Parts: sequence; structure tokens; C-alpha cells
Amino acid sequence: MPTTELAGFAAAADDAAAAGSLRPRRSRSGALARAGLGVALPLAFALAWEGAARTGLITTFLMPPPSAVVTHIAQLFATGEIWDHLSATLSRMSLGFGFGVAAGTLLGALVGYLPIAHRLLDPSVQALRNIPSIAWVPLFILWLGIFETSKVTLIAVGVFFPVYMSLAQGFASVDRKLVEVGRVWRLSAFAMVWRILLPATLPTYIIGLRGGLGLGWMFVVAAELMGASEGLGYLMVDGQMTGRPAAIIASLVLFAVLGKASDLLLVTATRPLVAWQDGFRR
Amino acid sequence: MNAPLLRLDRAAKRFGNGRLALADVSLDVEPGEIVALVGASGSGKSTLLRLLAGLEAPTAGRALFRNVAIEGPRPEIGVIFQEPRLLPWLAVADNVGFGLAALPAAERGRRVERALDRVGLAAYARALPRELSGGMAQRVAIARALVGQPEVLLLDEPFSALDAFTRTDLQDHILDLWREDRPTLVLVTHDLDEALALADRVVLLAGPPGRIFAERTVGLARPRERTSSAFQEEKRQLLSTLQAARSGRTYDPEVLEVP
Repeated sequence: MPTTELAGFAAAADDAAAAGSLRPRRSRSGALARAGLGVALPLAFALAWEGAARTGLITTFLMPPPSAVVTHIAQLFATGEIWDHLSATLSRMSLGFGFGVAAGTLLGALVGYLPIAHRLLDPSVQALRNIPSIAWVPLFILWLGIFETSKVTLIAVGVFFPVYMSLAQGFASVDRKLVEVGRVWRLSAFAMVWRILLPATLPTYIIGLRGGLGLGWMFVVAAELMGASEGLGYLMVDGQMTGRPAAIIASLVLFAVLGKASDLLLVTATRPLVAWQDGFRR
Repeated sequence: MNAPLLRLDRAAKRFGNGRLALADVSLDVEPGEIVALVGASGSGKSTLLRLLAGLEAPTAGRALFRNVAIEGPRPEIGVIFQEPRLLPWLAVADNVGFGLAALPAAERGRRVERALDRVGLAAYARALPRELSGGMAQRVAIARALVGQPEVLLLDEPFSALDAFTRTDLQDHILDLWREDRPTLVLVTHDLDEALALADRVVLLAGPPGRIFAERTVGLARPRERTSSAFQEEKRQLLSTLQAARSGRTYDPEVLEVP
């Protein structure tokens, strides 16, 4: 029953859109034009850089032109070398993200719902949050070894805090009047969280997830820079050791693409869940 | 004599900040009766209603339903708030059926459909709350309260945020619904016309701290014509009673004189 209701969000939103809300639907060409505007700046920058490199305005030894970076990326794909690194990074990232989200959601919901849990746990969590997560690395390596476990744990720690914060704070700001509707219908504590607090907090929660994802990418790099034999971060270290700036920049570009793509995926997947919002701009 | 359906027995409510919202209030409501609670803001009328709804507990005295203490919201007692309070992420039909999660889907669907039909919004079952006007949203809230088939409906200034036209419309609508299965209605309002259009009995509150200082049985036959001279005369008397309360004079609740 609760699952059908969650699925109902999306259905209701779709129906509502089909029924014709007052907002005009954006045309496909309009969407393309807007995406085009988004890439205009990086494209112009790349062209300028390329031009400067070709005319000898900058030395290409330390600052390789975009064409060299593109060639390097193409090579990585052509030799198939990239797939091992990509899958290593992506699997670390997804595991860490998964664990971080699960822990952040459970603890955040608990602390957000129960005042006693808030008083008991929140001060400690806030204190831990103030430790720069990278500072955990030596300890994690001692405890968990230098292989996957310590890396995944580090990423999970990074993801945990924004997700936790979004629920622990988000529940508190849910309209008391809606909570009262749940009381009138005598909802259990679980139903109150699942059917009122969580849906009402969903927009904030999604921002928490996105923040967690961003930090997750940050820590996957950190983890891989600290010592790994594969992964995009390893490619960077390798590029540094062998003095190939194009390899480093290629990894940077791949990180940017992956980060943006994962965020886009998250936003697209969750958009139907928050289509009910009557906000300023959507 | 049988116990009344609802009873407040010397009930008082003091909030955590020390403010006494309601002092020593006793009130009986009989089955099928329509009672209007009228008073200026600060007279404790909403607090009184929240005691009956089980949303607040009295700090002294008792609130009873069928002679049993009201210890929290009860299925027999429905509440309609000043705002529609629809869950913005649920379509209209899911809002109406929100409290029926325990029922099988088919039965729930039937009840929701019937409730929406009764408020004339069957066509909007799949719409989202943000697509509704204020009056429509409040009708959905009425449907949501009706769908549980409560014996008592508590209404906390339910139409005060609506324009005058929509307001009288919904007042008539509530009366139509009442004529069908005669739920007991307790209505908080600051609108004398609304009280006189709906209620069998008007209870006047003053405060703070809130207390009942007069009651008046409305001697108008139904259906009531808001523009009739009898209606206007009734209103004039009610108004002067209210003004007397503000100037501190007291009236015998049984005999309300007309100054």
C-alpha cells in the first residue's frame, strides 16, 4: 500500500501534466538550445586554448592543447585500457554512495523524527562532521587495509553527512499542519515518517543526495590518489609520475563528465517524485 | 438522561508557556446537533475544538465522547481545518482516501469516489492540489473528512479564508451533507452570519482566558433565508450579546434581553 502510493506520486504528476497545467511545456528544440548555451563557455575556452597552443603563445609541454587531451582519451578507449579503470572507480563510487545513503537516511530519519534521538545523537554526528573526511584516511587504512574496504568506507563517510543533514533538518521543517492531518488519521510512527514526513522532505532530501554524490566523487579521487592500482585517480597519479599532463587532464575531464552525468541521472530519476511542487521555477 | 455525545466537563487548557487559553468550560453536544462556537480571537474557541478533536489534552477537567475520555484523535470524530491541508504530493483522490489505507483498494476506491461525488469534484480525482482553487481545495478537505463516515465533524473556521460567494456556497453544501446522514457538527467561526445560517445553538465565548459567557438557541426554521428579517433580527440580538461581553456586562445565559 505505501509503495503504490509512492508510485502514485509519479502517476499523479504525469496525469496532472497531461491534464494540462498552466505552465507551457518546453519544446524539444528549446531544450537543445538551452543545453547548447551550457556548453558554449567550455567550448570557447577550449578553442582559445587550442589556438594559443598552435600559435605558440603557450608552451605545450606542461599545458597540452585540448586536441592532445582528446587524443589521449581516444587512445584510452581504443586500447580498451579505460574500462578497467572506469569500472574500478564506478564500483567504488556506487558501493560507497549506496552505503552512505542507506546510513544517512536511516540515521537522519531517526534523528529527525525522535526528539530524544536528536538530543542523543545529533551533537556527536555534528562533531564528527567537522572532521575533514580526508583526515580519516590514515585510520581507515590501518583498520581496513589498503584495498577496497577503506576506499568504499571513505566515500560512504563523505556521502553520509549531506544525506543525514537533509533528513535530520528536513523533518523538523515539515509543516506542522500536515503532521496534524496524520495525527487526525492516527498514523503509526512508521506511517507518519513514510507517508508524510519523507514525501514532504523529498525535495530537500534530493538536494542532500546530490550533495552526497558530489562529495562521493571528491572522496573517490582522494581514495585513489592515496594508493590504488586502478581507477581514474590512479591514472592521474600515473600521469604525474610519468610526466604526462595530458593524461592528468584526460582524467579530470572524465571525472567532470562522470560527475555531471551521475548528477543528471539522479535529477532525472527523481524529477517525477517532486513534480507536485508549486515552486518559483522548475 | 443519556450521556451527551460530546461533553466538556470543567475543562481548562494551559499551554506550556503558562498562557491560560481556556478556563473552566463545560459544554454538552447532543447527537445530530449543529453547534457554533463564536468569539473574538483569543477567546479559546479553537482550543476548545482541539480538545474535542483529541489534538490537545485538557490540563484540568475532562473531554468526553460518549462518556469516554478523549485521549487522542478518534475515528468517530472528523476534523476540517481552516486551511485545506491537502498533501501536495498526492492527487485529489489519494488525499481523500489517505486515512483508508487499511481498506482493500476496491472498497477504498468506491468510498473515495462517493465522497468526491458528494462534494461535486469527481472530475478532479487525478488533479494535484496546486491545480485547485481555494474553494475546491476546501471541498476536497470536506470529502476527506466525510470519507471515514464520522459521527462528529469538527470544523475550525473552515470557510474564513474564502470569498463571500464561495463561503455561502460551501455553507449550504455542508447543510446538504448534514441533511443526508445527520452527523453532529461543531463549528468554530467568527462570522455571525455563518453561525446563524448553520447552527441550532450558538455558544458565545470570551477571553482570554477563554470561557463561555452565553448560549443562544437559534429560533429559525430551516431552510434559512439569510436575507429574511427574522434572520437579521436574530443577528442583531446575537451582536448585542457579543458587545455586552466586550463591555464586561454579564447576561443570564437563559434569558438574553435585547437592549
